Amino acid sequence: MNLFKKLTIAILLLITIISCESDSNQEPYLGSYANGIFVLNEGPFNNGTGTLSYIGVSNVMTHNIYQKANGEELGNIAQSMYLHDDKAYIVINNSHKVIVANRYTMEKIAVIEGTNINNPRYFVAVGNTGYISNWGDASNATDDFIAVIDLNTNTVTSTISVGEGPEDMLVNNDTIYINLQGGYGQNNKLEVLNTDSNTVTSSLTIGDVPNSILKDSNGAIWVLCGGKPSWTGSETNGKLIKIENNAVTNTLDFGTGKHPQHLTISNNDLYYNLDGKVYKMAISINELNTDGITGFDGYYYSMKANDNFLYTTNAGDFSSEGTLKVFDLSTNTEAYSKTTGIIPGNIIFQ
Amino acid sequence: MRYNIVFFFITIFAYSQNDTIHLLEEVKLHGNFSPKINAGYHLQIIKDSAIQNNNQSLGSILQNKANIYFKQNGNGMVSSISLRGSGASHTGVYWNGIAINSSLNGQTDFNTLSANGFNQIEIKKGAGSTLFGSGAIGGAINLRDQIYFIQKKEFGLQIGLASYNSQDISFKSELSTAKIYSKFSIQGMQSENNYPYLKTDLSNENAAYKNYHIKGVLGYKLNYNNQIQLFITYSNNDRELSRTLTAPNNSKYKNSDQRILVQWKNYGNKHNSSLKLAYLQEIYNYFPNKNNTLFSEGSSDNYIVKYDFNYFFTKRWNIHSGLENNYTKGNGTNILKKERNRTEIYLLTHQNPIKKLNYNISIRKGFSNTYNIPFIYAIDLKLKILPKLNIKANYSTNYKLPTFNDLYWNFSGNENLVAENNKSAEVGLDYHTKNTNINITSYRIQSDNLIQWRPVSSSLWRPINIQSVTSYGLEFELNTVKKINNHKFHLQTQYAYTVSKDDVLRKQLIYVPYHKANASIQYNYKKWTLNFNQQYNGKVFTTTSNTQEVDNFWLSNIQINKNFLKKKINIGFIVNNLFNKAYQTVAYRPMPNRNFKLKINIKI
Repeated sequence: MNLFKKLTIAILLLITIISCESDSNQEPYLGSYANGIFVLNEGPFNNGTGTLSYIGVSNVMTHNIYQKANGEELGNIAQSMYLHDDKAYIVINNSHKVIVANRYTMEKIAVIEGTNINNPRYFVAVGNTGYISNWGDASNATDDFIAVIDLNTNTVTSTISVGEGPEDMLVNNDTIYINLQGGYGQNNKLEVLNTDSNTVTSSLTIGDVPNSILKDSNGAIWVLCGGKPSWTGSETNGKLIKIENNAVTNTLDFGTGKHPQHLTISNNDLYYNLDGKVYKMAISINELNTDGITGFDGYYYSMKANDNFLYTTNAGDFSSEGTLKVFDLSTNTEAYSKTTGIIPGNIIFQ
Repeated sequence: MRYNIVFFFITIFAYSQNDTIHLLEEVKLHGNFSPKINAGYHLQIIKDSAIQNNNQSLGSILQNKANIYFKQNGNGMVSSISLRGSGASHTGVYWNGIAINSSLNGQTDFNTLSANGFNQIEIKKGAGSTLFGSGAIGGAINLRDQIYFIQKKEFGLQIGLASYNSQDISFKSELSTAKIYSKFSIQGMQSENNYPYLKTDLSNENAAYKNYHIKGVLGYKLNYNNQIQLFITYSNNDRELSRTLTAPNNSKYKNSDQRILVQWKNYGNKHNSSLKLAYLQEIYNYFPNKNNTLFSEGSSDNYIVKYDFNYFFTKRWNIHSGLENNYTKGNGTNILKKERNRTEIYLLTHQNPIKKLNYNISIRKGFSNTYNIPFIYAIDLKLKILPKLNIKANYSTNYKLPTFNDLYWNFSGNENLVAENNKSAEVGLDYHTKNTNINITSYRIQSDNLIQWRPVSSSLWRPINIQSVTSYGLEFELNTVKKINNHKFHLQTQYAYTVSKDDVLRKQLIYVPYHKANASIQYNYKKWTLNFNQQYNGKVFTTTSNTQEVDNFWLSNIQINKNFLKKKINIGFIVNNLFNKAYQTVAYRPMPNRNFKLKINIKI
């Protein structure tokens, strides 16, 4: 790149920044982290802390933003993060707590913890009520539960018993779908929770090891099941399940030895990661694609689409910083890549 | 290269002499740790007086006296060794010459071994697989019980009281005649281990431990030429696994080790030999939740036959050879029920052709039903270049065999693993006077095919022979004794500079400090002894990219002892972490604050 080009870019950038400044004058200033993307890093397995990274204007990456705002660490194994109203709920698995922070400044507001938070995994919220999936004692298959949280007081008001290994959840009006991935074992259920009565109203048997769930623009629910891995000794195929009106309406089988992960959606296209490739499938077509997208190859630790970009993370050797690679879905090319914290497990969009 | 060495052996066997010679006392006493057959290596011996005086775990003794780096998951928790930048399974640990590293994970947890009651600890730094077998790469450490056929009757009782509600008690008896020797000891200790984490509101929760160790040694002198010896130990450890700075814990770990060794020693005019039959058993139970009955378990049984034979052709030339068979059965919740057998032979020739030169050449080859054991060789020498100055040098090839966990871990073990291989060279200078010795050693180690567990899919990690590591470093040691009338000073200092880098990443391995040093000064005056010990641990990296680290720290301990009633009673008071420093050896696992210990030793 010659000097002239560099200068042009610099000037253009400057103009963009200046124009942004004048725009934001019209809105109240919320905080440093109001417009970007978060990457939540689990941190090292045994001892250490998870960290939160932030990609802001011009794709500038800032690390350890929670620690910078609060002077303390997140805790051991930062599992997931959920944004609701003006707050961020950060689930710290091995520290058995959920941190409530201002989503724009990352300043800590409260910590949800106690005997009713045990191996927490994911958080969702409906109105003034939060729901936290908990494995309970990881070696006990029958003590798994959803903790119900009063978001005004940040306390657990009740617990709802569920099957083994509740993981990711999806809110759909007054319903919460709970993936029962199986914890350290393998499960094959999707439980349906009614948020008016706070009871589990039904349980659907889907494929083995449901690992991701989403809703498309037509209101259909898609669940990707990884299948039981070969090391379990009873390997099963991965499956993509479509659910409409609380019933399975379609099941697509990936075939022997196939264990897809990370289902995500952009516009009306589903994306998932399988055997080191990223596959795309239109929601209108009921058939799996046989060819991956060229140039998207990778065994990703997490993958999420947003606004016509696909965000992927790689945990590397799990003992050092990982990487974030972003692909432009309109051109199917790599847009940029960044170094993350240790074991980047979650990408969160505003 | 291989053929050259075989040829070399043939030529030296070809000529023989018939001098009648005396037994080389040294080889008789020290076996594979004999300074003669390790002429080109730096050996260190820690005597029982120092072991007793320290009254600490084996790990602490090695840290303070031999400047060895240990990685501890908090006080009393798992403690693993790293010598010359190598991994925890790359230091051979031996009990009376029998390898005792776990068959399951290849390591020794130095907080489960008690140094109590051993006559000496022998430390060899540097690689030596030809003599010591698999895993003796960073070095080798032997715990020795010595049998003496003299008239002796001694009973000892030791009681210790320390911070964090810690108590220990041990009893020892040693009875011997000109024909029979017996030693028995029993030791128990327990601790709440609930020290505060300095600079936080947390304390070391879920960290209580208790353990006991029983040992017995019997020797019987059949005649001038023959002895039968029996060694038995049993130890039992019950530990909670402590929390970290960021997460609580409620798990627990129990393990026990049982070791039995029968040895027949035969001394002739020109030869000596020993036949060892040993049985080693390790059992562990891991409770993910201590309040729950659920646990996982693992065990291994090891049957060893070892025959060592020395023959002295002349006063200046002897051979040292051995045959060892090792049959191991492993079993457990997470490993397949498997067995393996291996047979290894080695041969060493020691020569002292001119007075100034001692050298050894050794070879080893093993056979196994599980994997190929490579042929290895070594050469080492000691040359006197000035009256008090020796040069020592060695070159060796070495190996470490895959462990049971590597091979047979449920669904992820890899039965296609091969032995890790290693080349090692060192050169050192040794200056020795009556009151002072100075040693400086530099080394270089190249390790290939190192086994690492790597993710092969989103949910599966498997061990593969993948890593190459280059290590080099420098070790310095100075010991000096000074006596002025009734005042006796003993200064001991050691320093190690260690570089150990992954060949691909070109980064220092995690948990290998560049700098490690210690200094201790002991002052004796009549019945009083004062001991001041300083330890420095350089920073260590905790990420393979070397972006995060555990801070360096200085640690000071002080100990004062007084003898009463003609040394029959000794009372000591110890302050550990004298300056109350917050420090960690493993990230997020704080070590104890300033703590105290009172001990009473009674001997009759």
